Amino acid sequence: MIQLYNYDLSVNCYKQRLMMNILDVEYESIPVDFFPGWEHKSPEFKAINPLGHIPVIVDGDYTLRDAHAILIYLAAKYDPTGRWYPTDDPELVGEVAQWMLFAEGTTNTASAARLHDNLGYEFDIDEVRAGAHRLFRVLDEHLWFREREGRDWICSAQHPTIADLAIFPDVMLSEEGGISRRPYPALRRWTDRVRRLHGFTPMPGISPASPLAVPSPALRESH
Amino acid sequence: MSGSPRACADPAILNLWHPVAAIPELTVAGDTSMLLGSRIAYGTNDGLEPWVRRLDTDASVPVRIEFGFLWACFGDPPDSLFEIPEAAEPDRRILNAGSIKVATSAPRAVENFLDMGHFPYVHTGILGEEPRTEVVEYRAALENDEVWARDCQFYQPVASAAADAGQMTDYTYRVPHPYCVLLYKSVPTDPSRRDVIGLFVQAMTEETIRAHNFICMVDETTSDTGLRRFQQMIFSQDKPILENQHPKRLPLDPRIETPIRADQSAIVYRRWLIDMGVTYAVIPAA
Amino acid sequence: MTDDNQILDADRWFPIGRTDDAPFRHVHQAKLLGRELAVWRADDGFVNVWDNRCLHRGVRLTVGMNEGVELRCLYHGWRYASRTGGCTYIPAHPADAPAQTICNRTFPAVERDGLIWTTLGDNGPHEPPPEAGLDNAFALRSLPFSAAPDLVRRHLEATDSSARFFVQPVDAHECVVHSVLLETPAADEQISTWRHHADTLTGVRDEVEAIAARLPTPEPLTVALERIEPREQGVPMPRARTDAQLRVTIARKWTTATGVVALELESIDDPLPAPQPGSHIDVHLPNGLVRQYSLTNRSGDAANYVIGVKLEPESRGGSSCVHDVLREGDVVAISAPRNNFTLRRDASHTTLIAGGIGLTPLLAMAETLHDSGLSYTLHAFAQSTDHLAFADRIADLGEGAVTHLGASPAETGAALDTILAARDDDSHVYICGPGPMLDAARTNAEAHGWPDASVHFEYFRNDTEIDDSTSFTLSLARSGLTLSVGAGETILEVLRSAGVAMPSSCEQGACGTCVVGVVSGTPLHQDVYLNPSERAAGDRIATCVSRSADTELVLDL
Repeated sequence: MIQLYNYDLSVNCYKQRLMMNILDVEYESIPVDFFPGWEHKSPEFKAINPLGHIPVIVDGDYTLRDAHAILIYLAAKYDPTGRWYPTDDPELVGEVAQWMLFAEGTTNTASAARLHDNLGYEFDIDEVRAGAHRLFRVLDEHLWFREREGRDWICSAQHPTIADLAIFPDVMLSEEGGISRRPYPALRRWTDRVRRLHGFTPMPGISPASPLAVPSPALRESH
Repeated sequence: MSGSPRACADPAILNLWHPVAAIPELTVAGDTSMLLGSRIAYGTNDGLEPWVRRLDTDASVPVRIEFGFLWACFGDPPDSLFEIPEAAEPDRRILNAGSIKVATSAPRAVENFLDMGHFPYVHTGILGEEPRTEVVEYRAALENDEVWARDCQFYQPVASAAADAGQMTDYTYRVPHPYCVLLYKSVPTDPSRRDVIGLFVQAMTEETIRAHNFICMVDETTSDTGLRRFQQMIFSQDKPILENQHPKRLPLDPRIETPIRADQSAIVYRRWLIDMGVTYAVIPAA
Repeated sequence: MTDDNQILDADRWFPIGRTDDAPFRHVHQAKLLGRELAVWRADDGFVNVWDNRCLHRGVRLTVGMNEGVELRCLYHGWRYASRTGGCTYIPAHPADAPAQTICNRTFPAVERDGLIWTTLGDNGPHEPPPEAGLDNAFALRSLPFSAAPDLVRRHLEATDSSARFFVQPVDAHECVVHSVLLETPAADEQISTWRHHADTLTGVRDEVEAIAARLPTPEPLTVALERIEPREQGVPMPRARTDAQLRVTIARKWTTATGVVALELESIDDPLPAPQPGSHIDVHLPNGLVRQYSLTNRSGDAANYVIGVKLEPESRGGSSCVHDVLREGDVVAISAPRNNFTLRRDASHTTLIAGGIGLTPLLAMAETLHDSGLSYTLHAFAQSTDHLAFADRIADLGEGAVTHLGASPAETGAALDTILAARDDDSHVYICGPGPMLDAARTNAEAHGWPDASVHFEYFRNDTEIDDSTSFTLSLARSGLTLSVGAGETILEVLRSAGVAMPSSCEQGACGTCVVGVVSGTPLHQDVYLNPSERAAGDRIATCVSRSADTELVLDL
């Protein structure tokens, strides 16, 4: 069984829990006392990941660090449909990579602001908030045009990819870092869609969306 | 809010001990923070004696250590902080479960801690779940100038880190200080004793706090990490709710919000703040 | 857009989003003149614009859930109905009907030009100003600007564009620019048109924001905290027994079953109060009689009220008037709904047993439970298929409804026995129908060990009996009135019936709004607001729940 070095309130750990829940992959959570224990900086943990970061996964003899790398591995290995990380479609997988790098940006802005505001991490808070807003404006416009094309997800496929999962939690918890999503209506609608995915799992600050309506009986075929 | 935050001028608040940090957090180099609208520095000296200094007046303030936390007073310090006799029991696990900043006022955090009606919605599957949403009548009153809520009951699917099945849980709540609140619930393995969970709120400004989570439990099996995880999970679920409440300062005018019978402890708490003459971190009644 | 300088911003109409910003089952977050708004489209298409603040503890409604007919607050699960903003369910007190004073501040919404318009004031025009040539307007992308609205307006006026711009003033330093084209481009040019205009507007935004960044940042607008007052609009204040405050027309009248007529009642004046399942209204008939009828509306469905009226064989003029005299288009006076038959939503399973026209309140309950995904079964007893009222709506419930047609009294008894044999600790039963059926059900329920608190009856009679044995006299010291308060009546209700204006809020004894002074007599306190010394002093009383320990109580009114 996969082992996930995990902290329940970590955005990057949540991305893995979300992916594995969606893929219906069993895993064992190994709690790391991130705060106030700083266990991820301990010598014992650095033996597992010398950079002292979580998440880390261990799958048999295989160990991998870095949230976005782990998403790629999980999708490549455990998604029989091949849609979450579509290596058979060069243009699409290029888009996924492009937006995974965008997710590095949201981690370094929105999630940094959250760590500053919640746990007192040192960041130039005005700079990271402004950075988050710049990225959200771009993403909101991108998603708006996707909607006009009849598409629901970040990449151009008619199904979500790991790019959606990599960006979603940073966006969804932005208000904990003082970044409001009110100016970004298309972004807010996209977060509803992610929250309605089959296999969605919550974390503090990220709750399920209301279910979509079942078509009224009048629209069903009469029997 | 622009400009400098308002400094507290209420004697009722100034002449109290306020939490600043968990003892393991203290360093010799020192850290800065805010308390009651003023910037402070705090730390420990070589002899492991803690200190707190107001940076606006450049003066040291009285300090004390209690329950594993450093407390400071800007006014005339009372002889004692409130007592928690359970903390003296030798087999107790006494831990700080983390100090988390929240963009809300101290009284809002206290009221949220007192509230049970949100358990099925905010702590779904942990402290409550639909359809068991009813808050049955309980008793809330002032006792010895503290707010107490007794005979509280709520159905909980998983009541603590050590439990693995749902049960009707009895709770007692106590507010011994305008910005501190304690919860007593029976120890699963020994119902004659009670676990104590506390929230000691450091009012940094009127609309920002650092919430210090306190655990004083009887539990032989769960690790420190496990106990902390549970409390942090609960508190972190409340945090986005608190940050989405408006106004941030607690409105004391009973016509600004609509209490229901389930809010009896909050009703007593708000009237207590009014009687104490508190104006800091609240919106006084018209 | 030409500004009419005489209209204050507070009374002006502004767009707060595009039509597409309010899809089904979503809550759009907007802000106008410093005030946050929750904007959501109900399943029937109605667009709600509310203050973004739950009345309970001030949590934003935009983090709540749009459940189609109701909006659910994320904190305690309170439900608010579309159209009126009235609270219809409080999970912490599942057996209580929320006071009708618990009602969100609502603002009007008009959809025009592909945009959603609203106004915050009461003193301006009743709809957005007509813009010439916008019948076929094509809404472009809306863009947020971090700059003062006036600065943005000046720049837009200087911008050469075929688009018409509307500036939504969000706050002192923030606005949203909405834009429309007067003509809709061809389908294959729409995306490029949107992109072209979005790029142009982005360029304007870059310029304006650069300028704004060099100016001092203005203070955010402040919106005063409003006290929750009982509202005139849509929420009638006094809940008197005989007063009728609402005027409705009969929008539709049809035969729904043999001997049963259905009426759809549409408000003439203000929107109808949000119905709760189990509630009923007084209908004032043209012949002077007043009759009570249950609403069949599911929770929160307040577009129009739908009632069902059976022609009673010995009608004293009530049901026969409804059947023979009332016509579509007639105006009728009704009371606001009252609810003595509240639906809990916290049962593991809810069994609904309807005898004949007793179906009406239970149909409302069944549809509410069905929509919420809660477990229920509706047993509808009727003489025959032709006698089954609202058969189409029963059919829509699918497996949730079981019909029992043409059952003899013995067969009915046997059916009740089977139905009530399935009991578990967290289930509830609601029964409504003719007297003999209810008596049989009551006996059966007891025999199967159902606790009293889990079985709810509504006797389908038109006159309510008042048990005088626990009534008391209420005297008002200053006005000299002498009133009688019977069992089942509250002091608050009796005062209002007598025309005494009384403020209230929670109507549960928690908020203190309805507290008045006591001159003499001994109050029987049943509230949670007064503290022990106030209770001991006996000089005040919470009129919504408390009573008298003696036969006479004198109030300082």
